[in-house]
Amino acid sequence: MKNRLEALRKARGIKQEELAAALEVSRQTIGSLENGRYNPSILLAFKIARYFDVSIEDVFIDEEESK
Amino acid sequence: MKKRNALLLAAAGLLLIAAGFLLLRTSIFPVDNLPALPYLLIGVGCGVFGHGAGAWISRQALKNAPEIQKQIEIDQRDERNVQIANRAKGKAYDAMIYIFGALMVSFALMNADLFVILSLVAAYLCVVGISVYYRVKFDKEM
Repeated sequence: MKNRLEALRKARGIKQEELAAALEVSRQTIGSLENGRYNPSILLAFKIARYFDVSIEDVFIDEEESK
Repeated sequence: MKKRNALLLAAAGLLLIAAGFLLLRTSIFPVDNLPALPYLLIGVGCGVFGHGAGAWISRQALKNAPEIQKQIEIDQRDERNVQIANRAKGKAYDAMIYIFGALMVSFALMNADLFVILSLVAAYLCVVGISVYYRVKFDKEM
């Protein structure tokens, strides 16, 4: 699943480490999420959306729907 | 691990080591029927002591470093790390099934003692049984 995490993070001017600390996950998890290698649990997806104050659909892109 | 538990574990390990040496060096409790018992006690004692002492030392080392402690907790609870550990365990289980199978066949072909082969078969079936049990349990829970 693709996502806009990196763009959202960079727009806020925060580092991976800072985002990881705020979401209480490892920095590697943020890196894997941004590279699209790892799909988060629904709980983490909600946490990310809440952190950036956007909806889950604004962060994660459903590739089936975008076809 | 709590400080008290870590220290108790280390103390239990030391006691086991002492008991092992006592059996080995004295004849207060003759162990002619179980010649390996003292060595077994020393071995298990070293393991238990190492586990307890390690937990205590790591606890002491992290006492004055709350940031590192917090990072360790985050890394332990991190959902990706948990998923990776579980996937690795799953792969290891799949490999173990084949390795155990090959070992049983090898032992049977070598005409090993029947008790050894049957013990291996029992252990193999026990592991498979535990796997089936948890599959059914999680199927009901999820």
